[in-house]
Amino acid sequence: MFFPQFLSITFKHLKFETSTLKAFRMRFLKIVLCFCVVSIMASCYSVRFQVENGQWEPADTEREDAYAGYNVHTLDTVVTRKLTTGDHYFNISDCPSGALHTVEYRSTFGGILLNAITFGRHKQVKIKYVCIKENSM
Amino acid sequence: MATTTIEERQRWNTLHKNGPFPLKFFLTTKLEKDVSGLSPFEKYKDAALEIQQLIKQAADTHERFRAIGSKWSMSNIAHCEDRMHLNSFMNLKFSIFEGEMHEDSDFDHGNLFLFQCGNQIKEISLYLERIGKSLKTTGASNGQTIAGCISTGVHGSTIDVGSVQDYVVGLNLITGPNPEDNVYLERKSGPALRDTYFQNLGAKIIRDDEIFNAALVGLGSMGFIHGVVIEVENLFLLRRYVKKIDKAEALKLADTLDFTNFDPKIPDADFKGVRPFHYKVFMNPYNTGESQYPVEFIYKIKYYDDYKADFGNPIPFQKEFVYLDLIYLFIKIAQKLPKSIPKLIKMLKSSILPKEEKTTVGKLSEIFWDAGYQGKAFACSFGVDHTQSSKALELLAKLTRENPVPGIFAMRFIKKSEATLAFSKFPFTCMVEIDGIQWDDHKKIISLKEYSRKMIEVLKNNNIPFTLHWGKNADWGFPGLVEHMFGDGVKKWKKVRGNLLSVPMQEVFSNDFLDVTKLSEPLGPDEDLIV
Repeated sequence: MFFPQFLSITFKHLKFETSTLKAFRMRFLKIVLCFCVVSIMASCYSVRFQVENGQWEPADTEREDAYAGYNVHTLDTVVTRKLTTGDHYFNISDCPSGALHTVEYRSTFGGILLNAITFGRHKQVKIKYVCIKENSM
Repeated sequence: MATTTIEERQRWNTLHKNGPFPLKFFLTTKLEKDVSGLSPFEKYKDAALEIQQLIKQAADTHERFRAIGSKWSMSNIAHCEDRMHLNSFMNLKFSIFEGEMHEDSDFDHGNLFLFQCGNQIKEISLYLERIGKSLKTTGASNGQTIAGCISTGVHGSTIDVGSVQDYVVGLNLITGPNPEDNVYLERKSGPALRDTYFQNLGAKIIRDDEIFNAALVGLGSMGFIHGVVIEVENLFLLRRYVKKIDKAEALKLADTLDFTNFDPKIPDADFKGVRPFHYKVFMNPYNTGESQYPVEFIYKIKYYDDYKADFGNPIPFQKEFVYLDLIYLFIKIAQKLPKSIPKLIKMLKSSILPKEEKTTVGKLSEIFWDAGYQGKAFACSFGVDHTQSSKALELLAKLTRENPVPGIFAMRFIKKSEATLAFSKFPFTCMVEIDGIQWDDHKKIISLKEYSRKMIEVLKNNNIPFTLHWGKNADWGFPGLVEHMFGDGVKKWKKVRGNLLSVPMQEVFSNDFLDVTKLSEPLGPDEDLIV
């Protein structure tokens, strides 16, 4: 939104707001929007860690991605940090085997923005994990 | 007690989305927890009782019941419309001790293990490796359950070993709801365990070669496979190398399996004249001008601890997945423009074919590791005598060029199985297979059913005896197909099924696949006498 306003002021000052310029402005706006969308998309990413010597917990789902056949748990929350709080961790209590096979964390533009505008007070946590299959070790 | 959750469902699908298929109930049984204080044997016995109760429920409501493993089969062999049972959580493991061996057994007790049905190949391998043992062979990946593997004949390309079912020495089947419906089968010619071992688990012992061989590849229809006794071997390493060799040479090796004068010229190793553990030929049917084929050679070598220091980790640190949306976009294009398929295959070549000229050394479980692609897929796989492999490949490739579909061919080789309905029925069976991405029916592209029907016809018309992989796509309703493939073996299999299962239980353990192939039809009274 910043760029179109800036352009609008510039054009008003120059008094060149003809139909050609309007079209140009629309095209520019679209390019800027595309750039923003691409930037937001590019800032969303996930990283996956997996043990090589463990049997994943199976599940009968209709997934088609790399998790097809895996029992995937998700944790999607916002953590609020107190002034006196340092690091924190989450207890995973729904793995009967007591072991993890895969952990994936996801970083999103919204999460980064939330963290920035709250000066680190709020942190978005998006995690997927797969347990080791019970009795497989 | 073992507990079973029963979930109402509308549909079910295979791992590679070859359905969906209708379904009423999806059942999952979990074993009694350790805190119960039950020993593993007591848990095993307890699980058998739970399964018998589930079978009774199905029989009482005149519904069909089917155990599934990891749903890797692409045909509908694992599906039944009423009650499907996920057995993956039934994964007890037992070593066999000297005192538990049959007095006439020739097996080494250290190499025998009892695995409950839901143990997956990967967890079995990890369990065995910790005690210095290895499976003899697996499929190309590791997600299947042991019961699923043997029921459908999962194979690799281990020329002199065979398929997964070929190292099974004992089978514990639950054939009905009554106490006498718990049976343990072994070959009379190859006894393994002392009678009291399974008698203590409540099973009746049957030692009979014909019954054992028929039940081995039972298509999920000889009862519920509760446990499998397998023979394993000491840990070994595999040295894998992929390179392009002259097409004529690759096909000659396939037709003869004679490697005495062949030198694969693998860097820093001399395998001249050595028959490989595994031989696999890849072929792009659309590239007729190809003078060389990519070939995968795998040689068995002695295990030593520091192999990773010499060859690196065979499992990649960073695993990459093919971008599924891109693949599916290609398929949309292919459906509308079948002529674009050869170009699409060429574009995807680097993702489909293995990397060439790279030596990898690892344990069996490391070489045949987690599958890299788990999206929509199809596969048609024909077993022919290896002496006719190049002829069959050329005929099927020509058919594919005339009716383009998005896939490439490969040839793998397996030793003959003793199982009555094993598709590895030739002295050495060459599995000619086309694997690729599933497409939707569209007027411009041949349907999968029609394509697979034409494949059957072309082999029949050219007098090439063949079999079909039970877990792969085919026109399973092709008239007289199973009899054409197995001849009298079909009657033998049905006879054993009739002996093991009562008539109501034959119905409980049937499904659409069995109906379509007519394997669910019992033998007539006259036929029963002839076999």
